[in-house]
Amino acid sequence: MFDLVAQSVFSGLLAGAYYALIALGLALVFGTMRIINLAHGELVLLAGYIAYTAESRFGLDPLAALPAAIIIVALTSVIIYLLLTRIRVDREINSLILTFGIAIMLTNGILMIWSADIRSTTSGWYLDSIIIGDTLFAMNTEILFAVIGVLVVGAVWWWLSKSWYGRALRAVSSNRDAAKLMGIDPRTTEILSFAVAGLLASIAGIALYSGKVIEPSLGHSLTIKAFIITVLAGLGSVPGVLIGAVLIGVAESLTATLWSSALQGLVSMLLFLIVLLVMPSGLFGRTRRRG
Amino acid sequence: MLLTLDHVTVAFGGLVAVSDVSFSVSEHEVLGLVGPNGAGKTTLFNAISGLVRPSKGKMTFCGHDLTGIPIHKRARIGIGRAFQVPQPMHELTVRENLIVAQHFGTGHSNPGKIDEILDLTRLGHKANRDAASSLALTEQKALEVGKALATNPRMLMLDEVLAGLETNGKRAFMQTLDDARQRFGVALLMVEHDIETISNTCQRVLVLNFGKLIADGSPEEVFRNPEVIRSYTGGETA
Repeated sequence: MFDLVAQSVFSGLLAGAYYALIALGLALVFGTMRIINLAHGELVLLAGYIAYTAESRFGLDPLAALPAAIIIVALTSVIIYLLLTRIRVDREINSLILTFGIAIMLTNGILMIWSADIRSTTSGWYLDSIIIGDTLFAMNTEILFAVIGVLVVGAVWWWLSKSWYGRALRAVSSNRDAAKLMGIDPRTTEILSFAVAGLLASIAGIALYSGKVIEPSLGHSLTIKAFIITVLAGLGSVPGVLIGAVLIGVAESLTATLWSSALQGLVSMLLFLIVLLVMPSGLFGRTRRRG
Repeated sequence: MLLTLDHVTVAFGGLVAVSDVSFSVSEHEVLGLVGPNGAGKTTLFNAISGLVRPSKGKMTFCGHDLTGIPIHKRARIGIGRAFQVPQPMHELTVRENLIVAQHFGTGHSNPGKIDEILDLTRLGHKANRDAASSLALTEQKALEVGKALATNPRMLMLDEVLAGLETNGKRAFMQTLDDARQRFGVALLMVEHDIETISNTCQRVLVLNFGKLIADGSPEEVFRNPEVIRSYTGGETA
C-alpha cells in the first residue's frame, strides 16, 4: 500500500510539472495583460500536431520539431495579439469572445489538415519506462518533460523578474500610461509576451504529443486545465503555477489510486473551489491595490 | 528654447479645453502654470506629454516637432512628467521603478544616478521595498518625481505634486525639487493651486482661464493683473 501511494505521489509530481508547462503561456498573458487567451489550448495542440507531422512525415524525433513549432505557434500567438489590439472597448471581456472564436477556427483548421484521428508518438524511447530506486516507475517522457517544465518555470520567472522586457511588461501591466511616459512602448512588450506564450505553448505541445494522445477536440480541455492552474496559483505568480500544477497533479493521481480514475476531474475541481473559498486571490496571488 | 507651443488648441468634440495657447520654456527655467479648476491645465500637460493630441497648432521640444512623436519616445527626447496622483508601477520595487524608467527612458543604465536619485528623494532606505504597499503618500510623490528624473529629462512637468501635503511636507518637497533642478539641470513646468508656493518658487507664471492664456509674466505682475484676480474670484471685483 505504501508503495502504491509513493508511486502515485511521484506520478502526480511528474504530471504536475507537465501541467505547469501547459499552463504557463496562459498564465503569462493573463497575469500581465488580464487577457484570457481561450485559444491557448489550441496553440498547445497545434504544436503537438507539428511534432506529429515531423515524426510521421519526416521521421524526426518529436523534440526536433521544436524550432518549427516555435516559429508557427509564436507567429499564430502574435497574430492573435494583433487581432486583440483591434478591440477598442472593454478589452478584458471582448477578448474572451475573440479568442473563443479563434479557438474554434484553430480546432477546425487542425481537423481539416490532420483529420479527426487520434495520434500519438511512435518513438519508442519516450514511452519506455525507467525504474528509480527499485520502486518508482515513470516513462522517459514524463521525466524529461518534468525536468524541462521545472527549468522553463525557472526561466520564465527569471525573465519576468530580472530581464528588461520582463520588467517593462510588469510596468505596463501595473500602469500603462505611466509606463509609456517612462519610454516603454507597450505594444512591443505585449507582442513579445505573446510570442513567449507561443514558445511556451510549443514546448507544452511537444510534451503533450510525446506522452499522451492528441486529437483535434482536445484544445478546450487544455485551456480549462491551464486556466484552473493559473487561477489556483494566483494571478501573476510564476512559481505559483508550478505549485498549483503539482497540487492538481498529485490530487488527481492519488484520487485515481485510492478511489477511482473517474473521480479525478471532480477532485481537482473540488480542490480548486476549496482553495478559492479560503484564499480568493489564489495560492500566491497578491491583493491588488489601486490608486 | 526648450519647449515652444505655437497656437495650440485641444478640443474634445465641440468642447475646447485649450484654446490657441502659445508660450515657450527655456532651459533651467522654473515656470508655474495656474488657473481655476477646469481651466485646461491638465489637458495642456497631456498634450505636451502626448496623452492627447492637439487639434491645431504646433509644439516643438529641443528642435523636435512633437506632432508625430509617440508618448514613449517623448520621454527619450527629454520630457519628464510626474502625476498628481502618483502612478507607481505596483509590481516593481522602488529601485526597479527607477531603473526601468532609466533604462527605457534613456536607453542605457547608470546605477550611480539611481543612487543619487534615491538619495535626493530620501527613498534610499526603501529602495528594495515594494512600491505598492510600503510607501506613504509623501514617499509615493517623491518616487513619482524620482521616476521622472530617472528618464534624464531636460524639462520636468509636475502636475499638482504638492496637493495633499501639509505645510512642512510641501516645504520639504519643494526643497527636493530645487535640489533636483540644481543637480540635474532640469527646467520645471509646474501646475499648482497654491499661489504662495508658486510665488516663492517660480520665475515666471502662466495663467489659464477657460482654456485661454490670460497672463504670462513674473509672479508679482501676474498676481496683480485684474483679469487674473477676476478669474480666481469668479467675476467679483477684488
